[in-house]
Amino acid sequence: MRLADKIFGFAGDLWQRLRQGQRPWIGASCATVLVLLSLLFLPLDGRAHADWLQFFGRFHPLLVHLPIGLIVLLPVLEILGMRRPSLREAAGLVLEIALGTCLVAILFGLLLAYGAGESGTTVTRHMRGGILLGSELLLCVVVRRTWLEGQPSRAYFLLLTAVLLTLTWTAHQGGSLTHGGDYLTRYMPPAVKRFLAPSAISSHPNSFFAKHVYPALDTKCIACHGTNKEQGGLRLDSYESLMAGGKDGVVIAPRNPDGSLLLQKVTLAPSDPHFMPAEGRTPLTPDEIARIRAWVRAGASAEASSVPGMVIAGEREEAPPPVGDYSALMGEIRQMQQTQGAKLVAVSAKPSDGLILRTTDIAASFDDAQLAKFERFAPFIVDAELGRTAVTDEGVETLVQFKNLRALHLEDTALTGRTLGKLSSLSQLTYLNLSETRVTSDALLPLKSMPNLRHLYLFNTPAEPASPESGLRSTQ
Amino acid sequence: MKQHPLCSDCEDKITPMDLPIPAGLKQEWSKSESRRQFLGRSGKVLGWAALASLFGEASLHHRAFASGPMQAGSAMNNLGLPHFAPKAKRAIYLFMSGAPPQVDLFDYKPNLATQFNNDMPASVRGNQQLTGMTAGQARFPIAPAHWPFSQHGQTGTWISELLPYTARMVDDLTLIKSTNTDAINHEPAIMLMNTGNMNAGKPCLGAWLAYGLGSMNDNLPTFVVLQTKTNPKENNQPVSSRLWSSGFLSSEFSGVGLRSVGDPVLYLEDPAGVDRDTRRKMLNAVEEINRQTLAEVGDPETNSRIAQYEMAFRMQSSVPELTDLSKEPQSTWDLYGPEAKEPGTFAYNCLLARRMAERGVRFTQIYKRGWDVHDNVVGNLPVLCQETDRGSYALVTDLKRRGLLDDTLVIWGGEFGRTVYSQGGLSQDNYGRDHHPRCFTVWMAGAGVRAGISYGETDEYSYNVVKDPVHVRDFNATILHCLGIDHNKFTYKFQGLDQKLTSPVPAFVVQGVLA
Repeated sequence: MRLADKIFGFAGDLWQRLRQGQRPWIGASCATVLVLLSLLFLPLDGRAHADWLQFFGRFHPLLVHLPIGLIVLLPVLEILGMRRPSLREAAGLVLEIALGTCLVAILFGLLLAYGAGESGTTVTRHMRGGILLGSELLLCVVVRRTWLEGQPSRAYFLLLTAVLLTLTWTAHQGGSLTHGGDYLTRYMPPAVKRFLAPSAISSHPNSFFAKHVYPALDTKCIACHGTNKEQGGLRLDSYESLMAGGKDGVVIAPRNPDGSLLLQKVTLAPSDPHFMPAEGRTPLTPDEIARIRAWVRAGASAEASSVPGMVIAGEREEAPPPVGDYSALMGEIRQMQQTQGAKLVAVSAKPSDGLILRTTDIAASFDDAQLAKFERFAPFIVDAELGRTAVTDEGVETLVQFKNLRALHLEDTALTGRTLGKLSSLSQLTYLNLSETRVTSDALLPLKSMPNLRHLYLFNTPAEPASPESGLRSTQ
Repeated sequence: MKQHPLCSDCEDKITPMDLPIPAGLKQEWSKSESRRQFLGRSGKVLGWAALASLFGEASLHHRAFASGPMQAGSAMNNLGLPHFAPKAKRAIYLFMSGAPPQVDLFDYKPNLATQFNNDMPASVRGNQQLTGMTAGQARFPIAPAHWPFSQHGQTGTWISELLPYTARMVDDLTLIKSTNTDAINHEPAIMLMNTGNMNAGKPCLGAWLAYGLGSMNDNLPTFVVLQTKTNPKENNQPVSSRLWSSGFLSSEFSGVGLRSVGDPVLYLEDPAGVDRDTRRKMLNAVEEINRQTLAEVGDPETNSRIAQYEMAFRMQSSVPELTDLSKEPQSTWDLYGPEAKEPGTFAYNCLLARRMAERGVRFTQIYKRGWDVHDNVVGNLPVLCQETDRGSYALVTDLKRRGLLDDTLVIWGGEFGRTVYSQGGLSQDNYGRDHHPRCFTVWMAGAGVRAGISYGETDEYSYNVVKDPVHVRDFNATILHCLGIDHNKFTYKFQGLDQKLTSPVPAFVVQGVLA
């Protein structure tokens, strides 16, 4: 049979049923589908409407979970129903209830979006997804009836698959609306995150804005003022949109924190109707407000990396990359300890935190040759405690193998610094203690290029900076 | 059976060893001699699983783990510690026994100057229990700090002029002004501060650390206690070894006190006529005997004893090296001051603490007594500050310039605070201050904590905490956190409880002070 015949046959069958009045719901449903399709083109004008719309609309997030549960139940019943026909019968009822509740949820969703004046890509996508889902469910109901009457149909299962996919996509859009678009990715491991999406503010990643202002906006504001929703016509998801402001004008007045609408709104009394973030969302912390204020006072620059008078104490550093798992080497590690006296100690219970090379017990006799024996474990060693040992400039060359080294203690050794340049390939090194050695400032020059070296100690060396009582010198 | 002349047991008492039973049975009996082990074993045999875990197996198992060369053997600590990568490898605790008056030193209350001799508002005092020393007072006159405060450092932190050296390092300090405790008298308060419990018998912070993190140096104790020489003019509250006891943990984890006068450790030197080889041979023999005892009796304390003999032998060379200050450069004396040359002073102890930090001592606690200023604050407090101010500053600064502050946590504090109202008569020239558990100031510096912040606030009378209270338990939980330990997971089964430093009452790491 040709496809056209099939379709005509199907339509004719439907028409028969309608005429017979045996299935009044088919008529009702067909009418619904027309309504749904027309709604697809309904414009959300971004203006708030009557309050009662919102009052009912706010039950949407509650109601929406009923059809979701039922839809997810469907394939389970259908598959199990292949063996137990009673379950297949139940599936029919579940499908019909799912359709009914889905339509109610869509209606309430529209009330919410229209009433609250929502607009934005995510809202539109969520709405269209919901309508598509409703339509697909309706088709399922229709197609499934024909199947039950003796025409097992692949179409039904294809439709069901489509329903599930649509559901997932629509639900994700809805989730993004309530929890923010970055809800799933916020706590993603930084490496994955960098791979997946370069930051929206990648142009000046080290600016004060990027490090201290944007994160506050990102976590507290963009759920309502971002790509998902643009309440008040305001978007806060980039420097440009922040400075552009919204319907009420600009929100940031450079050098005038008190005249900046954004700062005014977030510092109102929480009970004030104009307080932001609205609707009981987590307010900005005093710390965040202080940073934004200082940034605005300093001119609200997109590029400046620091703001005068604003010391950010103890900035949390991004966790260093994990080292490999050394568990397979445990036997050898124990053996090294017994034969060498120096210890390889776990930084923590997590093997990926690496090992500490600890020489305290035999420091005086621990020399370059001994150090060379630890080369095998080099990639796992993050902290080498070589203070007061007999390690010399030659030993430093071995240390080049310690790729994951973060802290290196060489205090009170015979080091002259002749070979320190070799260490510049240790990209993870943040701490280097050269106190009480004969290192000169010339020997330190190659270390300037090390990106992460933040703590360099030169107490009681020829290279010690002149300022009294401070051996600390930053290379940056 | 020949009786020892000093033994008071009656001679004809028959023990199972005298019975005509098989030797194997006698051995069995000897193994089950202690009540603990008897119960443990019978529990096993009879399947009294609950009883066994309460008294016997679990704690024995734990102890067997804990004793012996635990950390020496493997990269991984058997207890699975640290739970996460720690910021601090070691800690130094400057304990100000007797309770320094926060309102005279750190907790600046400028408004009190106008309130001299006014009565404390009853609403502020509430129905708080007072000590017997002031409960009978007819009135509670406000005694403002006698010394002016000024702002210091980049952070503009207010510090009393009594602490000119501390003032220089405020940018390195984390002041916690909202510390509070449950106890109002010294003994329970100092126990609570050290062990998390007001009653003696629980392990102290240092013992927990020694047990959990182990030694970083086989030649020195893991946990050392230094006592500062007392000044007889000060009101010295007793400080005793209960405070550095290992409680129910194996006794090898208790603090080792170094004496301030004479030999740092008594009887460490070989007696006349005994050279080091002879000593070694003697120790080998003793160890052999002890191992036999351990095999027979299975008492874990025997293990501790063996470990302690060995430690003492190694300390014969390591302690003299530790306390030999002759190689310290002149810059050390410039920093710590001339007092540091005199053993037993606070400055000397601070210098020793730095040397121990370099040599891998995990936890050093320095006790300074005499802060119990019930009267004559104006006379005593400047002396107390003068004794401790420079040493504390020198320690933090020395650690910092040598790169040790990156992995060392320094803690300064007492067991409670002191009242803002005067105990006894208040005059323009003098006043006294009573015990005050509701708020006191402590500071931390170094690895794991945010430098240059003040955390927590008290009301305008420095009487009640109004923002971010930090209970002693929270404080201890925070210290453990800096050392990579989750205080809720760090437990030891004893008396049927998973015992921990922070006690069964919930405690919370103070996130606001963490770096």
